[in-house]
Amino acid sequence: MPISQAFFQRSNALLLAIGIAVLVVIVATSLWLTTASERYFGEVTAARAVRSATADLLSLVQDAETGQRGYLLTRDESYLAPYNTAFSRLPDQRARLERAAARLPEIGPILQRVDNELDQKMTELAATVDATRKGDTETALSLVRSGTGKRLMDDLRSDLAAILAVSETELREAIDAQVTASTRLRWTTIVGALLILAMASAASWTIISYTRELVAARREVELLNAGLEERVRERTDALVKANEEVQRFAYIVTHDLRAPLVNIMGFTSELEAMFKPIDAYVTAGNAASPEQKAAAQEALSIDVAEAIGFIRSSTRKMDGLINAILKISREGGRELRAESVDLTALIETAAAAVHHQASAEEGGGIEIDSQVPRLVSDRLSLDQIMGNLLDNAIKYRAPDRPIRISVRSRRERRGWVKIEIEDNGRGIAGTDHERIFELFRRSGAQNTAGEGIGLAHVRTMVRNLGGDIAVRSELGKGTTFTVTLPPDLAAYRRSAKA
Amino acid sequence: MTNGTPVSIIMIEDDEGHARLIEKNIRRAGVSNEIIPFANGTDALNYLFGADGSGAVSAGRQLLILLDLNLPDMGGVDILEKVKANAHTRRSPVVVLTTTDDSREIQRCYDLGANVYITKPVDYDGFAHAIRQLGLFFSVIQVPETP
Repeated sequence: MPISQAFFQRSNALLLAIGIAVLVVIVATSLWLTTASERYFGEVTAARAVRSATADLLSLVQDAETGQRGYLLTRDESYLAPYNTAFSRLPDQRARLERAAARLPEIGPILQRVDNELDQKMTELAATVDATRKGDTETALSLVRSGTGKRLMDDLRSDLAAILAVSETELREAIDAQVTASTRLRWTTIVGALLILAMASAASWTIISYTRELVAARREVELLNAGLEERVRERTDALVKANEEVQRFAYIVTHDLRAPLVNIMGFTSELEAMFKPIDAYVTAGNAASPEQKAAAQEALSIDVAEAIGFIRSSTRKMDGLINAILKISREGGRELRAESVDLTALIETAAAAVHHQASAEEGGGIEIDSQVPRLVSDRLSLDQIMGNLLDNAIKYRAPDRPIRISVRSRRERRGWVKIEIEDNGRGIAGTDHERIFELFRRSGAQNTAGEGIGLAHVRTMVRNLGGDIAVRSELGKGTTFTVTLPPDLAAYRRSAKA
Repeated sequence: MTNGTPVSIIMIEDDEGHARLIEKNIRRAGVSNEIIPFANGTDALNYLFGADGSGAVSAGRQLLILLDLNLPDMGGVDILEKVKANAHTRRSPVVVLTTTDDSREIQRCYDLGANVYITKPVDYDGFAHAIRQLGLFFSVIQVPETP
């Protein structure tokens, strides 16, 4: 799936936002759970403090009672030591319990009762001890017998047990809550971590695939770039070639038009000069000498005729040149029609037109080996190209051997079509291989009629079809013309316009 | 020309009209040497170098070559090159007389050993004058016998 830049930015931003949100939630939950944990821990500590303070208080009261009992039985002061110690430590211990109990409001009422009972108990104990000290053992014993001390002690015991029970419950609850909070914290962390991991994976996936696409796109651009440079080079070459050709064409045309012009101007001046003896003869009239008459006659009958003949032939030549130029430029401007052409049939038709000339002698003939059945091009141009090249092969034959022509067509690189026309004719000198394609230029012995237009015309047509023509030849051996054409003229013109 | 030896003027010129005008004006300049005209390069080369192409046929001839560069069958420059490369003909003076006034072409001809390069002017007075000047040149130069 291709990832657009907008999608990439949106999805990455979204994933990032989700990731941050999850992180915030995790941090907040952790903070909250940690605070809760701390609170629960405080509660646990408080409950523990209440428990120990309660237990210590009970033990202290029991110590005090034990000391009192011992003293009452023995009246020995040394038994009173636990009682004294308990008495002196009791206020501290009570304050400790009170402080610890401040965290557990539900034990407040019990504590008040306990305070009350403690006060009474301690007063009862103090009363018995004081009575004993004064020697009033009876009063002391009667106080003990009254059962007030025992009842107070029982109440105290049960109240302290109640406080213990409350703190026990509190402790268990706090521990449970702490365990729950820890479990929650763990799960939050695990789930959050998984979520963040998922976001990170998703983000990584989009980044990796986007980067991969970017790399692929860049590679494609580089490839296109290279292709573009190649094409620019091809076009530039073609333009340079075309420009040189135009310059050469202009040069040839001006030169070739100038040559007959020199004749016309020259013979016109000569003509002017010729009229001098005629003029002299006419002016002299009857007094003209025989020499004057002879000169006038010669000028009229020979020189004038010659001059007029040259002027006329030069004008004709200029006219011919202009017509040829027009023909070529018209051919260049003709609208080409790209159509599917049966190349094999076209070659066969062109060969059939000259077949009787080629096979007039024993051993002569035209051999066709066409491996490209079809191409898309302009039929008329192809007809003329093939006709012209085959005509040349016949026209510039070697007089000492029968004509043998071989026409081959092959597929080349990128589907281009290569047509070769090979003959065993008189050949073309190496210095003339470019010249033969120039307008009005010919090569070798001028033993056949021709204007020097055919190959110039053929090259113009081949180039119009997007192809090119080359020649390979050895003087006296034979010549091979190679025409290369694009497989599809329409496609070629589209790419040339692009 | 001097010392009575017959110097032949080889005129290689495809345009008959030009050939006639050149001849007329050379004659007007008082030059009466034999003028051998050739309308194409192939025939001229055959005359200069013989059928075997060795140039031996030119041995003992005294030649002056008038050469047009634009011939139907080959470039005049090729002829100049051949003439100046052949042991028998290289000392013969070559006068290039052509319509081409391209500076590179002129340079090329002198590099190859052309002795004079004249552009055919389109106006006839200029043309006639140039040829007559050439006639004067013909009457004073010494042409060596080809070895």
